[in-house]
Amino acid sequence: MDKKLGVYVCKGCGIGDAINVEALSEAIEGLDVTPHLFKDVPVLCSKEGVDTIKADIEGEGINAVVVAACSPRVLYDVFDFPGCLLERVNLREGVTWCQPPGEEDTQMMANDYLRLGITKISKSELPEPFKPEEEISKRIMVVGGGMAGLTAALEGAKAGYEVVLVEKEAELGGWKAKFYKEFSAPYNDIHDLSVTSLIQQVQGHDKIKVYTASEIDKTAGGPGLYSVDIKSNGGSAQEKIGAIVMATGWKPYDPSNLEHLGYGKFKNVVTNIQMEEMAKAGKIVRPSDGGPVKKVGFIQCAGSRDPERLPYCSAVCCLATMKQATYLKQMDADSQAYVVYKDIRTPMQTEDLYRKVQRDGAVFIRGEVESVSEQGGSLVIEAMDVLLNDKVRLEELDLVVLATGMVPTSMPAEIPKKEMPAEGGGTELREVAPDSGFFSTPALRLQYRQGPEIPTLKYGFPDSHFVCFPYETRRTGIYAAGVAHRPMDSTQAKSDAAGAMLKAIQVVEATAVGAAVHPRSGDMTYPDFFMQRCTQCKRCTEECPFGAINEDEKGNPLPNPTRCRRCGVCMGACPERIISFKNYSVGMIGSMIKSIHIPEEDEEKPRAVVLVCENDAYPALDMAGLQKLRYSPFVRVIPMRCLGGLNLVWIADALSRGVDGILLLGCRHGDDYQCHFIKGSELATTRLSKVAETLNRLALESERVKVEEVSIADAHRIPEILNEFMETLEGIGPNPYKGW
Amino acid sequence: MAQKASSKYDPTFAKEVFEKVDSGEEIKKCMQCGVCAASCPLADKMEFSPRKIFTMIRAGERQKVLASKDIMLCTSCYTCIVRCPRKVPVMEVMHGLAHHALRSGFVPRKESSKFGKAFWDCIYKTGRVDEGVAARNYYLADGLVAGAKRGLEMKDIALNMLKHKRMNIMSAIPGIQGKKIKNIATLQKMLDKAEAMGKGGSK
Ligand code: SF4
Ligand code: SF4
Ligand code: SF4
Ligand code: SF4
Repeated sequence: MDKKLGVYVCKGCGIGDAINVEALSEAIEGLDVTPHLFKDVPVLCSKEGVDTIKADIEGEGINAVVVAACSPRVLYDVFDFPGCLLERVNLREGVTWCQPPGEEDTQMMANDYLRLGITKISKSELPEPFKPEEEISKRIMVVGGGMAGLTAALEGAKAGYEVVLVEKEAELGGWKAKFYKEFSAPYNDIHDLSVTSLIQQVQGHDKIKVYTASEIDKTAGGPGLYSVDIKSNGGSAQEKIGAIVMATGWKPYDPSNLEHLGYGKFKNVVTNIQMEEMAKAGKIVRPSDGGPVKKVGFIQCAGSRDPERLPYCSAVCCLATMKQATYLKQMDADSQAYVVYKDIRTPMQTEDLYRKVQRDGAVFIRGEVESVSEQGGSLVIEAMDVLLNDKVRLEELDLVVLATGMVPTSMPAEIPKKEMPAEGGGTELREVAPDSGFFSTPALRLQYRQGPEIPTLKYGFPDSHFVCFPYETRRTGIYAAGVAHRPMDSTQAKSDAAGAMLKAIQVVEATAVGAAVHPRSGDMTYPDFFMQRCTQCKRCTEECPFGAINEDEKGNPLPNPTRCRRCGVCMGACPERIISFKNYSVGMIGSMIKSIHIPEEDEEKPRAVVLVCENDAYPALDMAGLQKLRYSPFVRVIPMRCLGGLNLVWIADALSRGVDGILLLGCRHGDDYQCHFIKGSELATTRLSKVAETLNRLALESERVKVEEVSIADAHRIPEILNEFMETLEGIGPNPYKGW
Repeated sequence: MAQKASSKYDPTFAKEVFEKVDSGEEIKKCMQCGVCAASCPLADKMEFSPRKIFTMIRAGERQKVLASKDIMLCTSCYTCIVRCPRKVPVMEVMHGLAHHALRSGFVPRKESSKFGKAFWDCIYKTGRVDEGVAARNYYLADGLVAGAKRGLEMKDIALNMLKHKRMNIMSAIPGIQGKKIKNIATLQKMLDKAEAMGKGGSK
């Protein structure tokens, strides 16, 4: 595209007082592109300001606009010029508000930022949204017909979307339908099952197509373009699908691990599931002899919150016990319940049910069970009562109910093994990691090079950015809901299902116009591959955190743009640098770095390039500006979609041009990662660990390159982080390549 | 040494408390959070604290609970009632337990119970508290000699009170009652009724 560039500098918000606008226009002389227009405006975001730009677009044919004013994170609705390239240069938060006014260094900083912005826009092209040949489907598939799946299906249908519901069992309803009663609001009592009416509504809805006794044989494609093969007893069908809600639910924790609580040893020790089944069948009796049940001991956290068994709390088994103690009393007023617990966890209003059970006279004993044994045909629980600091012995129990927790169905019974490269060469059979796509129990059977299932956390729950995107999985367009997502009760499962369905609707709508979903919602760019130079190294396919890149028959990377979240990790991964976006590429950032003015060594003005993650670190920097925190004037911030896009060539380029150091600010990684693209900051760190080599080659100190973890709440740390890095650089001395 | 399993959570005593102790049933609501114990200004003088007393009731520890001085130590400061997240009227239960202990032949804290009785008798018989009479009867509860001895120990205070006309010299003489209010019979009827309304029934 032929660019006609207009540069508009705002003098409001203190910018005009802090820097000299004339000097700015001189500073950009000699760049690749020369602005057609260069204007300064008293208040650019005012109607007059915006109208000036609009008039130039109309009258002068300006098609590339540089707005040198406030942070791109604000007023994006004001500075919006459809059909034009737009670049925001952050003079307010990034310069004026964090530097002293009128100083030479402040001016140099502003000069550089404008040069960076103009260089960037000169390398950018207008994005063209991805339009596949095939028609985009907006139908949503729900996998699993339990409480969450049914709710999701119904919510989707009510919102006007066609839904395909696939359930592996012959009947809908999941575990819920097998139960006797439920706990749900109002929690002052237990209730009849609500799932029954939910099933009827789903079955009666003309927008919902239900497959029961069916399994997914194959899921090919990506958001908007899924083609799903469904295998029902005997027959098979194929459905075109736009997005998927995964509500595959849970299974009870395997009680065969609970022998220490008498399970399997004594017939009258049952799980809470068996208790429910007995109640549903109409009568609670002693399994050993069919005799009446008068005294019942409930053991909470059976296997749960135990590092050797199920380390987490399922947050429902306490309530299940409250429910069962309630109907026990309703069925027989003379019965007596004893509950041995670690803590009672009845969050929010559900505490009402706990209160009710207390009022009904159940006895609660806080402590650790030491043994369950049999004496004269009845059971005995011995426990250490931590409230009495004494041993207790509950005798003559007719029944002991183990409150077992929830395990997601995705958690495999046995960890699968896979051929993997061995250390000493060759291959060996090793257990796969949960966050590989090969860990989970088969459910979706995705045709993704990165594995057929959703990567999970170590307990089998799908991996997501819990804080910011709770429904996310690591496969775009697939959202987890209900206990497939995390342990929860049915009330929570319902709202979870509605949330996941909403996400599924968003993805089909965004895909239909070629836009990305969060965190880069609305982004129309996607990676282009200059395939002629591909060496088939497969790094892009390995490192894409979302499994967006498959492989064709010839071994070339095969991008699936609708699966892509536009993070640019592949761009950073490719050693051939052939992956780029219309407004983001290795070459572009390289040119930007090169456009930074490097003062001579004797000027004693060091320069550090700070590559900053746009999701958390960049807002933190803005916030530091907003709070008028001062930091070194020698840093030059370049935002990145994700640190995962880091390409080592930038480091080499920067250092060989005389930049004194490079600092990377990105999200926390590791088990409690905060990276918005899951693996990005981790990959950047891994890549950097290899940079020492480059530095050695250039005979440079490795301290010149550093990564720091920054969260969005870290504004107060920004000056310290930046200043410390500059001090380190000053300590090492100037880059010897200056002036080359 | 193998520890003897001492608590069997025998519900008999809990039932007794629910049925016979004023506000006894309220302890069902207790969730053992310990806020009452942390709030009670007397907690460091207690052996168990209200929280533990309540769990001991459920565990069936009749002897330990009713013989405990804790239930007599409550000064009715109301802090526990204000703070209990489950709205257990802790103070009322403590008083109910103390009363029940006395009725059942436990004397968990001799002094408090003797003083309580002297105080009560005084009000019941005359309709008002006469410091001299109440103190005299309280001291004499252990016999004449012991009473005279304790009376002498307090003589400075007594003299001061006399000087300020806060006490009548006559009330030191055994057998003498303070001045009755008008219509004492009506008050006595009310007090009888109140006692009968309590779970313990009339004495
Ligand atoms: S919900 Fe209750 S029983 Fe279940 S694991 Fe948590 S604390 Fe234990
Ligand atoms: S790495 Fe990121 S940008 Fe590249 S294909 Fe995957 S999701 Fe898209
Ligand atoms: S990383 Fe680059 S060279 Fe390697 S397979 Fe992908 S596109 Fe080809
Ligand atoms: S504050 Fe209330 S609920 Fe908590 S221990 Fe005391 S009586 Fe029980």
